[in-house]
Amino acid sequence: MSKPVLQIENLCKSFTLGKRDINALSNLNLQVNAGEFVAIMGPSGSGKTTLLNVIGCIDKATSGQVLLDGIDVGSMPESQLYKIRRDKMGFVFQTFNLLPYLNARENVELPMEGKIKSKTERKKRASELLAMVGLSGRENHRPQRLSAGEQQRVAIARALANNPAIILADEPTGNLDSQNKQEIIKLLANLNLTQGTTIIMVTHDSQAANHTERMLLLKDGKIVKEKEGLHLAKKNNKCPNCGSTIQMNDETCPACKKPIFSSDELFST
Amino acid sequence: MAIMISIPAGVLANQQTATDLASNLSNTITQTGQSINQTLTQIDCSLASSFSGFGFQAPNSTNFDRSQLGQSGQGSGTGRTFDPSQFGGGGTRGQFGGGAFGGGQASPMNQTLYNDINSSISGVVAVEPILQASEGNNETMSMFGRTFTRQITSYTIEGIPLTSDLIDNYPILTTNITAGRNLQAGDSGVVLLSENNSAYFNADVGDTIQILDQDFTVIGIHGTSSVSDQLTLYMNLSDAQSVTNNTGYITSFRVFAQNSDVVTQVARSISSLHSELTVTTGQERLTQLQTLQSTYNTALDSAQASIGQTQTTAFEEIIVVVAATSLIVLFVMLYTVRERTKEIGTLKAIGFSNSTVMGQFMLEGILLSVIAGVVGIAIGIVAAPALSSLLLPSINLFGNTAAAGFTRNVMPTAAASVNLELVLIAFGASVALGALGSLYPAWRAAKIRPAEAMKYE
Ligand SMILES: Nc1ncnc2c1ncn2[C@@H]1O[C@H](COP(=O)(O)OP(=O)(O)OP(=O)(O)O)[C@@H](O)[C@H]1O
Ligand SMILES: [Mg+2]
Repeated sequence: MSKPVLQIENLCKSFTLGKRDINALSNLNLQVNAGEFVAIMGPSGSGKTTLLNVIGCIDKATSGQVLLDGIDVGSMPESQLYKIRRDKMGFVFQTFNLLPYLNARENVELPMEGKIKSKTERKKRASELLAMVGLSGRENHRPQRLSAGEQQRVAIARALANNPAIILADEPTGNLDSQNKQEIIKLLANLNLTQGTTIIMVTHDSQAANHTERMLLLKDGKIVKEKEGLHLAKKNNKCPNCGSTIQMNDETCPACKKPIFSSDELFST
Repeated sequence: MAIMISIPAGVLANQQTATDLASNLSNTITQTGQSINQTLTQIDCSLASSFSGFGFQAPNSTNFDRSQLGQSGQGSGTGRTFDPSQFGGGGTRGQFGGGAFGGGQASPMNQTLYNDINSSISGVVAVEPILQASEGNNETMSMFGRTFTRQITSYTIEGIPLTSDLIDNYPILTTNITAGRNLQAGDSGVVLLSENNSAYFNADVGDTIQILDQDFTVIGIHGTSSVSDQLTLYMNLSDAQSVTNNTGYITSFRVFAQNSDVVTQVARSISSLHSELTVTTGQERLTQLQTLQSTYNTALDSAQASIGQTQTTAFEEIIVVVAATSLIVLFVMLYTVRERTKEIGTLKAIGFSNSTVMGQFMLEGILLSVIAGVVGIAIGIVAAPALSSLLLPSINLFGNTAAAGFTRNVMPTAAASVNLELVLIAFGASVALGALGSLYPAWRAAKIRPAEAMKYE
């Protein structure tokens, strides 16, 4: 019943470096349904960031088709694309990329500026989003006063600002310690569960990837492997550890008593 | 950067000051020349400098320093282009000391020694003995790390003999009475103040003032009729002699000749009878004045040329500064855009349009030039007067030795004020050029690829 929010057909992307052509993506096909939590893995240089850039409309495909919510973005001019990025996409970066001279709330308000006219409404929504990522009371703090994990939460709130069709996260836990890494993955998983946000996350971390519902392995610009993640079990109300039935909001499995998302064996590093 | 605009603007403002100054002095010279013309039968006599103290026996001076007698004019050198001692006051009062121009070497002399002038020289119809003394104090000021001391004259007492014979027949009184009445024959214990004196003593007609501890009633106020009498108060000679503790002494006298044909002969006779005297006829003073006038005109021409030159330079500076503003904004903004590539990429990735980014950076560039402008103007308003007077040495044509009375009362303030209108125009221009200068950096910012946001350092 869920409809595809992203359809990629025969996507090719090549860069020209001097006389050499680098095929970052070659004949890649991918379909992501609304509400999916997808991890993209793969060795360095396999084209993960390139793929995310093309999906996020910050880079153009060399050939092939990219449909977002059924819209062919490949043929769109820049004068239209910024609206797709603003309204349909939410970016989360490895380096957070918050504006240092704006406070948390103002950072979250940024993407709304071209969209929501009323300043009070923007403020209200930004505060709600910050509460959703667990940062109530920190609205007026500038990035330098926030920890790395908190900064990434602000960035996630900012990505959610315009209620995007897809959250694109490139190594969102790459600059975080294991404690914060866990919390951010949990936050993304929760957003996916409770808000139904579609998330495509690039990660090198197989344990983080395991907490999504679908893992894709990229190699030389192609998807070479696909695997289910633990998150799928939770979505199906099954304990990922013992398989018994659980409720949506359960933190621990009523049967095996193990924590459902942060079991030690999954995040032991 | 606007400090660089304010200073030349201050220099430009000074031009007005110089022009005022020029016309003011021109008028004065013409005025003085006219009054000299009317009094060609007069001969002014005072002690030549080398005879200072001749016939002078120091009386017991208690309350008045005799060394101040007639010393308000400060020039004494010869061969100076602008020697105040040559600039006598003409037919109006105050030839010997008093004003800036009225200097000369008036030294106290024993009145009785000169009784023979009236009796033994033919062609002399009257002699008017005069006592002139100035009261004032020294003022020390520091400018540009140097210290200048100048004498500030508070007022000059001029005692004239108030006899009906002299008053009725010779122009010994000032004529320009603005309040009260003029001095009359037989007046004593009364004083005729200048407008400056009136302000200094805070006294009006009918008030009683104290001069050197004696009471005098203000009988009238005289307007100025030459530069030399602005600080001069007139009283009976005997009053002046007693109040300054100089009974029997005068500082100069004026001889009236029968007619203009005998003036030269009379002057020669005076000189041969009293070789210690400096004898100046009205005709000689007129000649001196004309020499001075031409010297002054030459100086003024060169001053104006130099001001004109400075003005041109100031305009050029403003153009350069305004152009520099846009270059500074250009480079600062280019640097900013380069430094903030990732931030700009992020803004574009989260949905900012090219035009929004461009507008943002234009605004920043304009803000930059506005802030710089406001700060610069604030500094410039403070610094410009001092700096522009350094840039305008010709304003000091009259030098610090051009006595205080003159500086204070005749010369318009030479310190520059900033020409606000010009500063605003230059400010506007620099802001406009600042906007122009941020155009390219802003365009560069708009062209940054959103994928830059993905890079990590
Ligand atoms: N702007 C570019 N110009 C030239 N080549 C590029 C450009 N961007 C990416 N590439 C090349 O495309 C290939 C894929 O790069 P991409 O950044 O997508 O890899 P990645 O999987 O994200 O790697 P990493 O895990 O190191 O981030 C690489 O060989 C890279 O060198
Ligand atoms: Mg990458």
